[in-house]
Amino acid sequence: MDITRRSFIKSLAWKSAIAAAGIIFPGVTFGAWKELDQSSGGIEWKKTPCRFCGTGCGLLVGVSSDRAVAVKGDPNCTVNKGLCCVKGYHSVQILYGKDRLKKALVRKNGKMVEVPMKEALDLVAKKMQETIKSHGKDAVSMYGSGQWSITDGYAASKLFKGCIGTNNVEANARLCMASAVTGFLTSFGLDEPMGCYDDFDHADVFITWGNNMAEMHPVLFSRMLANRQSKKHVKIIDFATRTTRSSQAADKSILFEPQTDLAVANAIAYEIIRNKWVNWNFVNKNVSFHKGKTNIGYGTQDHFKFKDKAETVNFKQYKEFLKDYTPEKVQKISGVSAEDIKYMAALYGDPDKKVMSLWTMGMNQHTRGTWINNLVYNIHLLTGKISSPGNSPFSLTGQPSACGTVREVGTLTHKLPHGVVMKEGARKLAAKIWQVPVENIDPKPTYHTVEMFRALDRGDIRFMWIQVTNPMVTMPNLNRYRNGAEKKDRFIVVSEIYPTPTSDVADVVLPSSLWIEREGFFGNSERRTQHNEQIVSPPGDAMPNTWQIIEIGRRLGFKKQFPWSQKTYIEDIWNEYIRFHDTPKHRMAPYKELKERSGVQWPFVNGLETKWRYNAKYDPAAKGAGFNFYGKPDGRAWIWLRPYEPAAESPDREYPFWLNTGRVLEHWHTGSMTRRIPILHKAVPEAYVEINADDATALGITNGSKVKITSRRGSVVMDAMINGRGNPPKGMVFVPFFDESFLINEVTLDAFCPISKQPDYKKCAVKLERA
Amino acid sequence: MEKSDRKIGKLFLVFAGLCVIALPLVVLSGLSYEPKEITAAVVETPSQDFDQSGIAIFTTYEQMSRDYLQGTSTERTLSEYYSRRQYPGSPPYVPHKVEEANKEEIACLTCHAKGGWTEELKRHTPITPHPENIACTQCHLRMTEDKLFVASNWMSVPPPRLGRPYLPGAPPPIVHDLQMRGNCIACHVGPGTVTAIRVEHPSRGNCRQCHVPDSYPTPFQRKSGS
Repeated sequence: MDITRRSFIKSLAWKSAIAAAGIIFPGVTFGAWKELDQSSGGIEWKKTPCRFCGTGCGLLVGVSSDRAVAVKGDPNCTVNKGLCCVKGYHSVQILYGKDRLKKALVRKNGKMVEVPMKEALDLVAKKMQETIKSHGKDAVSMYGSGQWSITDGYAASKLFKGCIGTNNVEANARLCMASAVTGFLTSFGLDEPMGCYDDFDHADVFITWGNNMAEMHPVLFSRMLANRQSKKHVKIIDFATRTTRSSQAADKSILFEPQTDLAVANAIAYEIIRNKWVNWNFVNKNVSFHKGKTNIGYGTQDHFKFKDKAETVNFKQYKEFLKDYTPEKVQKISGVSAEDIKYMAALYGDPDKKVMSLWTMGMNQHTRGTWINNLVYNIHLLTGKISSPGNSPFSLTGQPSACGTVREVGTLTHKLPHGVVMKEGARKLAAKIWQVPVENIDPKPTYHTVEMFRALDRGDIRFMWIQVTNPMVTMPNLNRYRNGAEKKDRFIVVSEIYPTPTSDVADVVLPSSLWIEREGFFGNSERRTQHNEQIVSPPGDAMPNTWQIIEIGRRLGFKKQFPWSQKTYIEDIWNEYIRFHDTPKHRMAPYKELKERSGVQWPFVNGLETKWRYNAKYDPAAKGAGFNFYGKPDGRAWIWLRPYEPAAESPDREYPFWLNTGRVLEHWHTGSMTRRIPILHKAVPEAYVEINADDATALGITNGSKVKITSRRGSVVMDAMINGRGNPPKGMVFVPFFDESFLINEVTLDAFCPISKQPDYKKCAVKLERA
Repeated sequence: MEKSDRKIGKLFLVFAGLCVIALPLVVLSGLSYEPKEITAAVVETPSQDFDQSGIAIFTTYEQMSRDYLQGTSTERTLSEYYSRRQYPGSPPYVPHKVEEANKEEIACLTCHAKGGWTEELKRHTPITPHPENIACTQCHLRMTEDKLFVASNWMSVPPPRLGRPYLPGAPPPIVHDLQMRGNCIACHVGPGTVTAIRVEHPSRGNCRQCHVPDSYPTPFQRKSGS
């Protein structure tokens, strides 16, 4: 490691000497980039949402000679107000990796062969028809993404659910925010945050629950820091299982044992009640109390089924339930001192402080993900700190359109663009807008993501079309699902921009137009829909994912449902799609408005965005004065009695360490894009395992030495990092998952939250050895 | 033949002499001020609003000592400046070692908000034009590897040409975008700057009184009928 660094610094010195020569010898390349031959030298700036995380920063992309050449933050976008992170500033470089897929590929005698796009599309359609004929409609499936443009997801849902008649549509967002959705639905009856990013400027206290915003949502983190700089009393509390850059920048870092956030959240509620900090005025009018099933399992076996049942209870029963969660009792299981629990409760309880809670994967990738989402809402509901500027429980998303495409369009097995397949009314509305017979839409959901890949392994599913995601890196317990995908008689179609471990198992690879090479929409974490026009031309035969789906739809005989012209189809689909949401609770902005502005929030009513939902002051759908939680039939938000239950797999004598996985600032998801950005790859070229210094000493492991990480499912060997940018406590290791050469998901466990069906990538048991 | 040789020799001597005289000047001027001396002021809006930025620019100027203003270190060249960027205006990478600090947001700004001589790197520290952003590593990364994952076909426009006034003798326009880089004094004054873009008259202070952004490539055209 050291040698590389030294030789690297040497090479830097040599490079700057070469660069210096540029001044003396004109004609020698001047900057770190190859210069574009061009006549005018002028740059034209075009707006687009960023391609990476769910923050949804507005970018201005500089274009010259049909190439994207520069980026700056869009000052008109209220999300980031002109600031980006390093991924955003270099995002346009994802278009130009040398190995960009430009031609369709078809597996012939075991080898991938370039073919014309038409031949590949014909083959895909033929295979789908054959599979439906031989194995039934539920043997074909689509696996999409929270990076799908809204029109991609809409076309996929229409084709599979409306035309073919199977509910086999899922998206990787199931792995990323399904627990956030079920959290919202169980607590409020409607998905997505009540607040917005303005809350960052209003709050006095920020409590982050198991998320490292400094690296994962850097622009929002900076907004939080800017607030703290301007108002000296502002506090940031980092409540997490490992020390990160966010902990370092926080005013206080509090560590808890994995999974015990459930107990701590209940203890905070206990303290709020004990100290009489309950906002009774709010609770009496707006809250009801409920209890669900307990001991709900972990879903590790095939065909696992679970259905929660809500039982209405009263405040007294809630208070009784919380008796198990005194700070002193919770201290014992969570490792968080009673004093720290009381401190957090006091921040939430102080009537003069506006509090924002923030979370992403720590709470969502959790075998009790729905529960912990409920429990944090409980705290905000008890204190009435919700749906008003600065008082905001805020679930952040990881992908640019997890909200826009997966949650709003409903590209999950049980969902339709409006409502769920189980409801007749929802099916009727969809059938009417899609112009299909209502009988086409199956009232029974099929497989959630993990079960869909299990079905592929079992052979219940024979055909899978994967777009804009890389499951052969991201599925937990990966060995099983890769073996399944590689089995004979499985036909895998992958729409991609670069070769990945997923395109490696494909029978057909369709080259896709990427991001600004096509027109589209994203929807970010704060209910903001963002449009981008086509800014540069796609390479070779690359085709937008929406258009690929339309081509297949037409080949399958659904010309009537996919009638649009290539020139206006994005606008036409938008106009058709927003008919699903045409109520004051969810009205979307018209196409023209989206085209002009740097994102518009829904509900968009009478030409105005709704910044805070459920509050009559800001939300035209809320009835009466004050608050109206109109998502639930009783018009109230629900407080849930959810207990602490242990993780699916905890460290034991044989496997004594927790394995936690996640991301780093530089790389986004599986790195298939960011690793092709020179500066990001050079900063973090490969994955590593973070180990606590004490554990490393005990095992004889030093910085940079090889470590073998083994679970009951698989193992991986990688370099150790001690006292790096992140530092796990004793008994835990952390591995970023971006690197396809170190597939940490062969080690992780496919246990999931029984309500949301979202797997827990943060907790399983491993052992470590020097390798 | 002999004559011209002698001429060259003389010229060389004069040049060498100048270098000998200049060297201590450079070194001394570098050592003569303390790192606390200046702090770049915050330029509020990332737009081209000269009046608001003028105050911040002027404040930054006011905080500089005379020694700093006259600092003439020449070690930083324009080509080196661009070699750390991926396109004109991209956030540069960090060319030196960085420790993971306890309070990361202050660590970088300890040097880069104030400038001054760093003994460790034997250099004058460049000043950031946007000290209001304190999470520096959000955009500026340290490189740890020089090989690429996959080669790239990345290309961008050439860096802007310098010193091209519209009229002979007129003040040259601002050739770069002002977003995140609106505090002129931070990058154009003092020994931490790139020599080629260092201004000779920092005492004027209100830079945008004379230098205006050159960002609209098409000349004014009257809309017909209006």
